[in-house]
Amino acid sequence: MYLPDGYTTLEKLREAGEYAEYDLFFGPNHPGMHGNFGYVLTMVGTEIVKVRPNAGMLHRGFEKAMENKPWAANLSLIPRVCVPDPDPNEVAYCQAVEKLLGCEVPMRARFLRSITLELSRLGSLYMGMGGLAGALGHYSTMYLMMIERDLILDRFEALTGARVYHIYNIPGGVRNDAPEGWLESVSRLLDHIEAQMPEYDRLLYENHVVWKRLEGLAPISAQEAMESGITGPALRACGVKADIRVDAPYAAYDQVQVDIPTSGGGDALARAVQVRLDFAESVRILRRLIAAIPEGPVHADLGNLAKLRVPAGDAYSKVESSKGEFGYYVVSDGGEKPYRVSVRGPSLPAGLYLCHKHLPGMKIDDVAAWMMSFAICPPDIDR
Amino acid sequence: MTPERFSRMLTEFFGDAAVFADKGGAQWEVHAPRDRCLPLLSFCRDHSFVHLAFISAVDWIAENQIELVYHLWSYEHRVHLLVKTRLEREKPWMFTAHRIWGHAQPYEQEIHEMMGVFFIGNPDLSPLFLHNWKDKPPLRKDFDSRAYSLKAYTLEGLGLVPPADKEDANVPS
Repeated sequence: MYLPDGYTTLEKLREAGEYAEYDLFFGPNHPGMHGNFGYVLTMVGTEIVKVRPNAGMLHRGFEKAMENKPWAANLSLIPRVCVPDPDPNEVAYCQAVEKLLGCEVPMRARFLRSITLELSRLGSLYMGMGGLAGALGHYSTMYLMMIERDLILDRFEALTGARVYHIYNIPGGVRNDAPEGWLESVSRLLDHIEAQMPEYDRLLYENHVVWKRLEGLAPISAQEAMESGITGPALRACGVKADIRVDAPYAAYDQVQVDIPTSGGGDALARAVQVRLDFAESVRILRRLIAAIPEGPVHADLGNLAKLRVPAGDAYSKVESSKGEFGYYVVSDGGEKPYRVSVRGPSLPAGLYLCHKHLPGMKIDDVAAWMMSFAICPPDIDR
Repeated sequence: MTPERFSRMLTEFFGDAAVFADKGGAQWEVHAPRDRCLPLLSFCRDHSFVHLAFISAVDWIAENQIELVYHLWSYEHRVHLLVKTRLEREKPWMFTAHRIWGHAQPYEQEIHEMMGVFFIGNPDLSPLFLHNWKDKPPLRKDFDSRAYSLKAYTLEGLGLVPPADKEDANVPS
């Protein structure tokens, strides 16, 4: 394209006042945005100058609503805090309540919790990898991965009767034991997943377009990540060996071997590779859990859960979700309802803080890939 | 690091101002008054508690206080530390921690909006979630969400129709 001397870049055009800044709404209705959340981007041409998070449209007032419901009834709200990966919320809340109650969870229930958590992680990572492919324009990969995720949801349906929000965990354990043959069906599913993965590796990770788009995008150092509240795969992608399943074991993660793979590099490509490593490790952990699950009861006897009373006090419990640390800070005044429940979601540090550092200077086409690489899921910001 | 050693270090630096407690299960707790809270947070960060998980606020209406809880984690020692400080409930204010952890800024912005705590030095306390909010901060204990819904989302509450007979009202009593 011909441009007169001194007007070769958009920046110069802007300096000359010939290329005005304009505001662009990235979301709430945008294929690259998950849920009713958005960024108002101030743009010059295709380049972002400033960003303003536009939250609130998805806010459901869960923390307030939980103060008005009995302890066990809150479990119907809690999985909705994270749509693709709901089980970590249930487990974190139940563990905090169990800490206050001082109750011991039976070993089989702890294993079933870990198995459902890992299945939920696989489903969410499929959505993450598929979403990343979608953000880069590879829609076929996304559709194929959604099919695989559906197979995991089938297993959840067989176990709990629900596909997306399972409400399987209760204070003291899990609702019911696995039906006969369920664990074998999960093993068969894992065989299928492992057989399919090379195909998806060829589609996504051996695709040089993906490498070219992600390499060097939004790099972050290990120190900066730790001090910015980044957790989970995005932190491990900086080379930090940190995983709550190992650092502060819960459920049955202290009963089986859990390794922490790290990719290192800290850019969007490293984060994408980290998700793949986490996926493979999750499959291995599931196999170990299924091999080691003991027989026994699946919940402690806490009486009528609808009338559960929790001793006064406060407790914090956290779970390693597919996106990072999910934490529940629960305060009780000894009543039939929580006094306060405060939720720590993994998306807020990147979604509301790092966006101001990373997005300015970025091209508009990289925003969706940036969001996917940090696994930003607005329902836990707007909760 | 043992809890005893951390407790000794706190006493050395803060005297009686920081009250330490070991809650068990690798969770520790420190209470500090508002004016010592920020130096305490800075001290904790320099002593391996580099991860600020989040900040939460609890409205203790009977004691007329609002409690801020800073959740810290040490990757090195694998300990969760709760730093707590209490503010008076009428016009509560606190110094910002966003110069210690950058991501404290949106957490403080959220608490300002939902609990009405003012954070001195926070660069942006504009509304994040609530648009055109004129009521009291919604996470305060004296905010009644049901009464607000009836006022804001029913035709009667908005004064658009006269109050109907109780049997005909489509609002459950």
